[in-house]
Amino acid sequence: MNRALVLIGIACANAARGLRRASSTSLLAVLTIAIVLVLIGGAWLLVGNMSSLLDEFGAELQLTAYLDANLPEARQNELAERVAAEPGVERVAVVTQAEALARFEKIAGSAELLEGLAENPLPPSLEITLAPEARTKQGIDALEASLSGVPGIGELAHGQDWIEGYARAIALVRGLALGLGCVLGLAALLIVANTIRLAVYARRDELDILALVGASRTFVRVPFLLEGTLQGLLGGLLALAIVFGTYALLLPQLERGLELVLGRSGLQFFTTAQAIVLVGAGAALGLLGSITALVGWRGPS
Amino acid sequence: MTSAPGESPVRMYHVSKSYMAGQFALQDVSLEIRRGEFVFLTGSSGAGKSTLLELIFAAEQPSEGQIVVLGRNVARLGPGAIPALRRRIGVVFQDFKLLQDRTVEENVRLALDVVGTPRREARTRVFQLLKSVGLQHRRFQQPRTLSGGEQQRVALARALVNEPEILLADEPTGNLDPELTLEIMDLIASASTRGTTVIVATHNHSLIERYGKRRLRLEGGRIAEDIPATAGVERGVGA
Repeated sequence: MNRALVLIGIACANAARGLRRASSTSLLAVLTIAIVLVLIGGAWLLVGNMSSLLDEFGAELQLTAYLDANLPEARQNELAERVAAEPGVERVAVVTQAEALARFEKIAGSAELLEGLAENPLPPSLEITLAPEARTKQGIDALEASLSGVPGIGELAHGQDWIEGYARAIALVRGLALGLGCVLGLAALLIVANTIRLAVYARRDELDILALVGASRTFVRVPFLLEGTLQGLLGGLLALAIVFGTYALLLPQLERGLELVLGRSGLQFFTTAQAIVLVGAGAALGLLGSITALVGWRGPS
Repeated sequence: MTSAPGESPVRMYHVSKSYMAGQFALQDVSLEIRRGEFVFLTGSSGAGKSTLLELIFAAEQPSEGQIVVLGRNVARLGPGAIPALRRRIGVVFQDFKLLQDRTVEENVRLALDVVGTPRREARTRVFQLLKSVGLQHRRFQQPRTLSGGEQQRVALARALVNEPEILLADEPTGNLDPELTLEIMDLIASASTRGTTVIVATHNHSLIERYGKRRLRLEGGRIAEDIPATAGVERGVGA
């Protein structure tokens, strides 16, 4: 059998023995990682769903470019194509004068208000939907500058305040989640590092004897790295289970509340890839914690 | 890298070891120990016996001088090269240094694990070694259930399982009664007859007289006497 495989097998067996021997400190590390990842995972789920909801609102956000009255339909279509080619524009729809009147009638209940007028006073317009990345003040300003002075296009109407609020909300939520994740991740890293340090200290007799019989640094260190990674993996799995359990428990109430307040719900749990990232983050935390614990450790003499 | 045939496995040239400025645990020690030779290191406590053994298995570095062990200059060994040297040296201590939460077999197998010996082969070799020290029937017991003599035999089996070129023993019989002392010394002497270079640090003068081997007496960190082997009474293995 390949010598490397034998050594890997021995390292795994030593890591498992280490976990069994220090079961209470190992459990502490697993629970710490799980708690941190529950908080990070919860925040991630919250931000993810908020982003989706805000994106849905953002998709409804439209700019209206009013066109000159009596502009021929062919020219209206030309202008629509011209605007659609602008950067940051997702799609453009032409609203003719007749369509504008029909919408007014629908909103007002009838067109009585306009009956005294000789002709339809509502101008044709272009309804412009921006791409998500362009739904910012800068995006709108750039489009406005680009379209100003284009013959046939008059006023550009938009809810800029709303757009700015939307962008601020997204940035705030994402920033908070990132900051919280960094602080909690660092805390977990230090706790895992200390747990591994305790494990090293508890096993110093064994490490001295290993040194005596000629164990290499790698032979001594790899089981500790495996232990940390395994603790992180278990912590990640536990966190995923807790986040899922909480989500499933709260989902009906949350959906009812959202439906009531926002008129929509559509909450979603992590995708498989996201769940793997969460569990993988646990393993990475465990591994990094072990590396931190062993950095600077000279090992037994 | 192995030392050339005929080359002495342990050579020291003007070696000094100081842990504190001006205080020497060893001072200007020069010696040569030949392949297969059995040497007793004697001297009072603090004479430098343990320090000399620690220098040979690279647990310490000399403050001055050169030590060549199995063809390697210990003073120039990097941390990565020390384990490789130690795998060629077996070490036995007065306090046995056994892992109490592992079985006798696992303790002996430790020396084979670090070199990646496949499990089946390791078990066979451990069984043979334990049989040679009369402990094969105890292999699944934990060391704490064994007597002092039995524990030292386990430690000796661990030191010998990799067929080392040098066997170092630091007061190996210090915790044992006279009968067990002879039992352990016979096992150590039998390693010497198979070609292993043996260095035993001991206070036990009757033992030194009994085996009549070369004797290096240390005093204040210096070699005070180097008495060659005599044709004195030597017990046969297992006698």
